[in-house]
Amino acid sequence: MARIELTHVTKRWGGFYAVDDLDLLIEDNAFVTLLGPSGCGKTTTLRMIAGLETPTTGKITIDGVTVFDSDAGINVPANKRRVGFLFQNYALWPNMTVFQNIAFGLSNIKEPGLSVTPEGEIVRNPDAGGTPRKLTKEEIKSIVARVSAIVKIQPFMDRYPGELSGGQQQRVAIARTLAPGPKVLFMDEPLSNLDAKLRLEMRSELQRLHLSTGSTFVYVTHDQMEAMTLATKICLISNGVLQQYDAPLTVYNRPSNTFVADFVGNPAINFMNARGSQQADGSFSLRLLENYDAVFTPAEPVQTESWYAQAEKEIAEFDAKVRPAEKTNKDVPFNYPIAMVNDVPDSREPDREDWVVGVRPEFVHICEDGPIEGEVFSAMPTGMETTVRIRVGNFLLTSVVFGGITYRIGEKIRIRFTGSGATLFSRVNGRLVATGTVEVK
Amino acid sequence: MTTVAVNRSGGFRRFWNKVWTYLSKPQNAILLILGIILTVTTIYPLLTIARDTVVVHPGSIDNLPDAQGSKFEAFGTTLTTYNWSNLFTESITTRVGRQRVTQSVASVYLWSPLLNSVLVSIFACFGAILYGGVFAYLVTRTNLKFKKYLSSIFIFPYIMPQWTLAVMWQNLFNSNAVTGGSDGLFVTLFNAYMPKWWCEGIFPVSVVLAIHYAPFAYILIGGIFRNMDANLEEAATILNTPRWKTFLRVTLPLVKPAILSTVLLVFSSAMGSYPIPHYLKLNTLSTQYVGMSSDRAGEASILAVIMMLFGFLILIVNQRTTSGRKNFTTVTGKSGQSSTVNLGAAKYVLSILFVLLTLFTGILPIILFAVETFLPNPGDFSFIKYGINGHMTTKWWITSENVTENGMYGQKGILYNADIWKAFGGTFLVAICCALLAGTIGTLIGYCVSKNRRSKWAAYVNNMAFLPYLMPSLAVGVAFFIFGSGVGIYNTFLLLILAGTVKYIPFASRSALNSMMQLSGEIEEAAIIQDIPWWKRMSRIIIPIQKTSIISGFLLPFMTCLRELTLFMLLCGQGMIITTMLGYFDEMGLYAFSSGINLILIVLILLFNTLVNKLTGASIDSGIGSDS
Repeated sequence: MARIELTHVTKRWGGFYAVDDLDLLIEDNAFVTLLGPSGCGKTTTLRMIAGLETPTTGKITIDGVTVFDSDAGINVPANKRRVGFLFQNYALWPNMTVFQNIAFGLSNIKEPGLSVTPEGEIVRNPDAGGTPRKLTKEEIKSIVARVSAIVKIQPFMDRYPGELSGGQQQRVAIARTLAPGPKVLFMDEPLSNLDAKLRLEMRSELQRLHLSTGSTFVYVTHDQMEAMTLATKICLISNGVLQQYDAPLTVYNRPSNTFVADFVGNPAINFMNARGSQQADGSFSLRLLENYDAVFTPAEPVQTESWYAQAEKEIAEFDAKVRPAEKTNKDVPFNYPIAMVNDVPDSREPDREDWVVGVRPEFVHICEDGPIEGEVFSAMPTGMETTVRIRVGNFLLTSVVFGGITYRIGEKIRIRFTGSGATLFSRVNGRLVATGTVEVK
Repeated sequence: MTTVAVNRSGGFRRFWNKVWTYLSKPQNAILLILGIILTVTTIYPLLTIARDTVVVHPGSIDNLPDAQGSKFEAFGTTLTTYNWSNLFTESITTRVGRQRVTQSVASVYLWSPLLNSVLVSIFACFGAILYGGVFAYLVTRTNLKFKKYLSSIFIFPYIMPQWTLAVMWQNLFNSNAVTGGSDGLFVTLFNAYMPKWWCEGIFPVSVVLAIHYAPFAYILIGGIFRNMDANLEEAATILNTPRWKTFLRVTLPLVKPAILSTVLLVFSSAMGSYPIPHYLKLNTLSTQYVGMSSDRAGEASILAVIMMLFGFLILIVNQRTTSGRKNFTTVTGKSGQSSTVNLGAAKYVLSILFVLLTLFTGILPIILFAVETFLPNPGDFSFIKYGINGHMTTKWWITSENVTENGMYGQKGILYNADIWKAFGGTFLVAICCALLAGTIGTLIGYCVSKNRRSKWAAYVNNMAFLPYLMPSLAVGVAFFIFGSGVGIYNTFLLLILAGTVKYIPFASRSALNSMMQLSGEIEEAAIIQDIPWWKRMSRIIIPIQKTSIISGFLLPFMTCLRELTLFMLLCGQGMIITTMLGYFDEMGLYAFSSGINLILIVLILLFNTLVNKLTGASIDSGIGSDS
């Protein structure tokens, strides 16, 4: 059971909060990605769990063992936490061969009840007692043989890291991390230095690795695609604050605020400012894209008044948090992008009649009888799909059409919003009000 | 009551846990220990100088006017303001020619040597930067010929003992008519009598200091030129900027930080230099300190304090500027090749000019020292005119018995002289110990500071280790002299090793810090994660990766120690190490002996440098400069 629990973990340098009061529960055998823009605190979080960075306050437990507790003054050093860590730049030791790189950590293990299966897998049974022993040369060889077979680097065992390509170095780093059989594996943007094709390949290998090792994986990335495809759960962080912690498709379909909606998904979600109010039947009658009337029907009932009351309570709670130092990296509302041909700044202070409607590109459907009139602004066919940007008045909407269809730029087309995956956010605080359908009249 | 107790023990436990966690990181524990040691070894001797200016010295005890109330009791001893008041308010009468002139004590003992010190330091800075900077530019950015040869010979004057060039200057230009003594090479060869200002005083001291420290400028400025991304200049060229404008507005500002470092380094080194002004007869603070009679011991300490103040001043300026230095990242690593300027026909002229110049500064001193050991009379080059027979001798080398006649003053020849070889042994002992200690401590500091970049304590320890670097050598020597005499270890190897270690830690800590900063922290973290113990991480990963710069960290103190005079001369008797022995032979007028020792010393240092360079790739020019 390698379950990781973070409770009220904060890391700050003076008034700069790299991680701000983070609560996180990582289940055993999970594949959790920490996702966010660069500098949001995700790497710091990972390094704090691994013990390479010391949190300012909070508590961290791994596998039921408290490894850090600021109140009790407990701080188990990284080397005693028994975790694996895959570094962004691989951190292979340049003065050692591939074999030595993998074997070096193994030659250092000394504990009781140690055995190695014929397949080269370490079996730890510390309760068996006996005197602590080290691994023999043969045992180390068989372990190295096993892990190097997993990542297919057997031909390079006598080479130095400098003589390997980036992808091969990456594999060596993985083998080195796997060798001691860690229960938890941390990865800090391990694929960011590889080219696109190799990245795709390694992604699928990491997924298989997760399955075969049965370890808990915590993975840092700024690439939402990587997070979506690999993770069992995504932890989205911005400015040191947790934004959403959910399964990838939940994050995609029910983003908790405009930041999450914008960050996840490629091409990005279409945001439209809307104005209107909730009707007696629970639907919202809105005016959007300058001069279109629309009705947003929530999938689950929502009450504007009570929703606002709840949101304001939560915001007040967040603001009321006692902080030893004023947060200099202030939490400002996310400035969601609205694509326009000519940017018109909107400086009006939003009120409770103001909403933001989000429609994913796959729900912007081009069809002959669509209620919205537009023209093709640009079209980017990839063969499998075509991304079309459509001009509606001064606004731009992105649509993804399956198949290689050629559009002429300037061509007049009509569109409609389909499906039940539209999202409604409050413009006052950027939070998700409801998901549902949006119908333009 | 019980709750209070519980809280208390809980609080204590928490505190203890925190302390334990902090110290269980080796870099923290090492920093704590080294910080305390360095504070004692660096600050305490400096404080002793300050104290020395207010204590009553045996030599001046009779002068103390009791009635004036200049004595007072403090800190359990009798202190006095006499040293300060005498230096700054009294007058003395000296003879200038036939006239008796009354001047203030301060102007004779302080202001005029201080002025000389500052003047030669400034001139030396200008000279070193001009000579070294132009050379750096030519070697790195133009198609100059013989680059490889020139760049290795250019740093010879710096590798050789400081007085080498001063002695050579004497050998070249002195004449019986102008300076007294034997006629030098110029008179013998060309019958050219150089004027007195050329032979002694501010001019030759500045020139010799400039040549000696020009390698600093070459190494520091050349390093930037070499690594500078050619794109920076090419970008200006693309915008159709004239070449001179590119140089003035792009290139020069980029090397400005290096120029500034050179200025600080040369200034503080020149300030504390003793041998050069001593040989070339200029009264500076250093020579004045040494020449101060024992009845003015307290006042001498005031001179040392003033020298130290300059050191602190330079340290402060250095601190101010290093923060700005980071603003320039000249190494972007994108563009590998740097464009070279085509010098055209000037290529050959400049190449030959520099070959000749370096011949004078690098090769000739060695030849002259060698020749000197075969001359029957010091500086007597008459063999050139009259032939070798009878005008050259091997007696300085091979006399194996004790003879008083023959000008040997009872000394055996160099090859048979047990005193000389004993002194060499002493020098090696000191050099090896200093190198091992300074190298180890410096490397550890470099490692620990690079691990704790944000910590204030690490910054403090780093500064403490760096402080002696910019302190004039003589001031450090004085500090350890007073300190050593106080604790009763004067004239012991222990004191020499202590002073040498403290003075040379910066070499090692600097080169270690620079290289450790470039080593990604993840390299070590990858080992920490796998529970590899600290000593194994050091011995198997960190040290093997950084071996070149770590070896330079050991090499620099060793080489510098071999030829160190200024720092050590106050700390021991003359026979203890070879450089002080050399001074003794000079005083005795046995110049052949001192030349022979110089020769052996230079050849040894060059040999070591080449050997280590060939074996490990580390070299003096990869580290940073020192003074001697």
